Amino acid sequence: VSEPSGALTFEFNGKLVTARPGDTVASALYRSGQRIFTRSFKYHRPRGLLCLAGKCPNCLMNVDGTPNVRTCMTPVRAGMRVTHQNAYPSLDHDCLEMVQRFDWLMPVGWYYKTMTNPRLWHAAEPLVRKVAGLGDVPAMDSVSGNYEHGYRHAEVAIIGGGPAGLKTAVELAAQGEQVTLIDDQPELGGHLRFSKKTDDSLAELTVQVQKHSKIQVLHGCYCFGLYEGNLLGIVQPRRDPLDAERLIHLRAGRVVVATGAYESPLLFPNNDLVGIMLSTAVQRLIRLHGIAPGKVAVVIAPSPMGEAVVADLREVGIHVAAMVAPDSVVRALGNKSVTGIETRDARYNCDLVVVCGHRVPDAGLLHQAGARLQWDARKGAFIPTDFPASISAVGEVTGESLLAPLPIPPERDPRNKRAFVCLCSDVSSQDLADAIEEGFDHIETLKRYTTTTMGPCQGRMCQLPAIGVCARQTSRSMAQTGVTTARPPNPGVTLGALAGARHHPTRRTPMHDEHDESGAVWLDMGEWKRPRYYQVQKGASEKQCVEQEYRAVRERVGLIDVSTLGKLDLKGKDVGKLLDKIYAGRLSDLRPGRVRYGVLCDEAGIMLDDGTVSRLADHHFFITTTTGNLDFVNQWVKWWLVGSGWDVYLTNLTAGLAAVNLAGPNAREVLAPLTDCDLSHQAFPYMACRSARVAGVEALLMRIGFVGETGWEIHFPAESGPDLWKALLAAGRKFDIRPFGIEAQRLLRLEKRHVIVGVDSDALTNPYEAGMAWAPKLDKEDFIGRAALMRLAGEPPQQKLAGFVMNEEVLPEDGAAIMVNGQLAGRVTSVRFSPLKQKAIGLAWVPAELAREGAEVDVRVGGRLARARITEQAFYDPAGARLRT
Amino acid sequence: VSFLVRCPQCGHRSVYEFRFGGEVKQRPAPGAPEADWVNYTYTKVNEAGVQKEWWFHRSGCRQWFQARRNTVTNEVQESFFPEETT
Repeated sequence: VSEPSGALTFEFNGKLVTARPGDTVASALYRSGQRIFTRSFKYHRPRGLLCLAGKCPNCLMNVDGTPNVRTCMTPVRAGMRVTHQNAYPSLDHDCLEMVQRFDWLMPVGWYYKTMTNPRLWHAAEPLVRKVAGLGDVPAMDSVSGNYEHGYRHAEVAIIGGGPAGLKTAVELAAQGEQVTLIDDQPELGGHLRFSKKTDDSLAELTVQVQKHSKIQVLHGCYCFGLYEGNLLGIVQPRRDPLDAERLIHLRAGRVVVATGAYESPLLFPNNDLVGIMLSTAVQRLIRLHGIAPGKVAVVIAPSPMGEAVVADLREVGIHVAAMVAPDSVVRALGNKSVTGIETRDARYNCDLVVVCGHRVPDAGLLHQAGARLQWDARKGAFIPTDFPASISAVGEVTGESLLAPLPIPPERDPRNKRAFVCLCSDVSSQDLADAIEEGFDHIETLKRYTTTTMGPCQGRMCQLPAIGVCARQTSRSMAQTGVTTARPPNPGVTLGALAGARHHPTRRTPMHDEHDESGAVWLDMGEWKRPRYYQVQKGASEKQCVEQEYRAVRERVGLIDVSTLGKLDLKGKDVGKLLDKIYAGRLSDLRPGRVRYGVLCDEAGIMLDDGTVSRLADHHFFITTTTGNLDFVNQWVKWWLVGSGWDVYLTNLTAGLAAVNLAGPNAREVLAPLTDCDLSHQAFPYMACRSARVAGVEALLMRIGFVGETGWEIHFPAESGPDLWKALLAAGRKFDIRPFGIEAQRLLRLEKRHVIVGVDSDALTNPYEAGMAWAPKLDKEDFIGRAALMRLAGEPPQQKLAGFVMNEEVLPEDGAAIMVNGQLAGRVTSVRFSPLKQKAIGLAWVPAELAREGAEVDVRVGGRLARARITEQAFYDPAGARLRT
Repeated sequence: VSFLVRCPQCGHRSVYEFRFGGEVKQRPAPGAPEADWVNYTYTKVNEAGVQKEWWFHRSGCRQWFQARRNTVTNEVQESFFPEETT
């Protein structure tokens, strides 16, 4: 036999398989002779192709490292690597097949019945996990390929490219609507592609849809969820290994569901044998893939329904041994593969059983969106009704032209241990009946207890028979029994698609490259990258580097990039009024050219943020926020301005300005040659601000002292960042200036006992506890948090933020427990080794009565307790003399 | 949640573009009794039905506005800048 042109090969369990263009992985494997595609979840029963429509769990395999891929929906690609799942050593010879002989040991709900002791479960878990289940979770980073998210909009989204969907698309597009059509098949046409009903209009309709400028078609994409606001979750699988698997968020004005109906199996003993297939699956194999799936067939169908199928089979030379009525079937015969059918009157030998099952409207999306499902006995189906506004349905999903092949609930007693209702987790009709006996007689509890409808098929194969068994065994009608709730995602979605691309947005300060050249070791602060410290010499430890930076600031001069500070510019007549309202302190009386520290509280008196407030002119202020709180403070200020009628213009200058802090005993001598501004203590005192040029760059200088030394915080246009940074370092060279990072800054400020809001304080901290009783000005008539702070001011706090020095040479960790008399009494918020004290120093929450000079507490260090002494004053320069020279 | 919120400036946008700002409440006068302040600070009506709320269009025009939303159906009935109603 010569191979057709365009043949390609892929790998299955290490062997090469030839496929034809248009093949799916499943059809190519079937053509190559593979009959067993999976081993069942619990009993390891062999399972073969059943639905070929992506609705059953029988063809799940690992494709290119991704487990549980529906091979019947996956177009074959040259070089694919496909492997089987859950069978040892192979699909054809699986040792675990013997598990089904012990089914009497595994009654329904056996986890709940046997694993009553946690130790027992821990002992059994590894074995259970090995024996039961689906594919294996891939190892970290083993999955190749990319994922991404896409966003689309449509006036109308139509789900399903069958005749009804195509017709609706053309009609709506003719009315001028912009239509997006989503179809999970490689080609449009739905069931007309493989059923005999083909008429000439299909080809014409398909061309019309594909050529219409108002219609966009998403081929081979499946919709797994219809969410609030007509948001559709759609997966576009990879077309080649370099492509990304794409999750498309499609927002539609209206949604038309045209998902059609699918076939679900009938219930009889051994209904899961390999070779028993649904009629639509057989038609797909014949018409789409040119495969005759057997030699001798038995068709199970009521006579009008079965005749078309019989004709189809004869057309490809399959001998039809018999057509039998569904209610006459006693059982299927065979061990692995089907060898015959036993009816009440006869036995027929065959190698193929074609089942004309129930046609089930594929109404899951409609059900998710809020439609009701109503039982129709004549059609043998739950029909969707009561659609939400802007969602509608066309075609077979509405129940049109459906006819039940067999009455439901079943007239005969359905109980049998080998009549499988749920193929995903091997639940038989006997299991369901037993569960109902045990009291799980509501369809929702029955589902949860037996896990029927909870497997990969999400109930598509099993929901209808399960409801049938439940209705019969509880003597209720189908309508009374009802359906279980439909939830997305269905079909399943890979976690990679949900997670999307690995994008990590990062923000760099204007001086990023300069830091890099100086050996910066980076620290992630939210989106920002900041130098943690600079590794000036290779091999130097962090401790050495930080101490060198520390000494530069304390003894000479240091420079730190503080561009990440939030920077807000406020102009207008009423800015003073606004600041008095949102800050706990008073700011309206700040004189131009002066800076004040400010604390923001919420109405409960909790500290939200802190920063500096500078008055540049009568009606012009400039405030800074902490790095992480800019967005919050910006929104907070805007919120308080809404409806105030105040004359305030707020501009966020954070990204537009770079900022540095030049600090140390030699800071003045470094800065002076670069600026005309008089930097003398008389002309430019502590907590003053001036606008001036620095190295030719227009800048705002603020004399503040977070690190406890004479210093200037300089704000200037971001584009001059590198230039000014270099100019300052050059000017400082004769003083051996050092750039310093976050670690050194944290140590320097800790010696000054300066609090970092959000590090030393938390979501329950008020200024009185934090040792900032001076901050709220309760004599202001009104400000945010005043009412709460008035009360807090009057009652002694239970805990306080206190400084401490360790008595011995140990370094506790940030967050270490504070113990008093063996009881947990607080925690350390910041702790560092202080070169000044030659001991670890820090801030900690302690009981208020211990927050006094000389009190002692225990700090947990490693596994033991170490003594620490509480200090009330700053560790370094408590009077602040260094800042005022 | 995947409903749409109408920003008075930008029109209907996905709820993920917005920050929810809570129920609209009347702030007590500066000298109001403490009970009023406690109520304002800590109590929420949590209406099962239509309530007036604050929203901030974070990924859009970055404006605060108010909306009437049905908390049961997530239908945003109307939205407006507060000044417009007074």
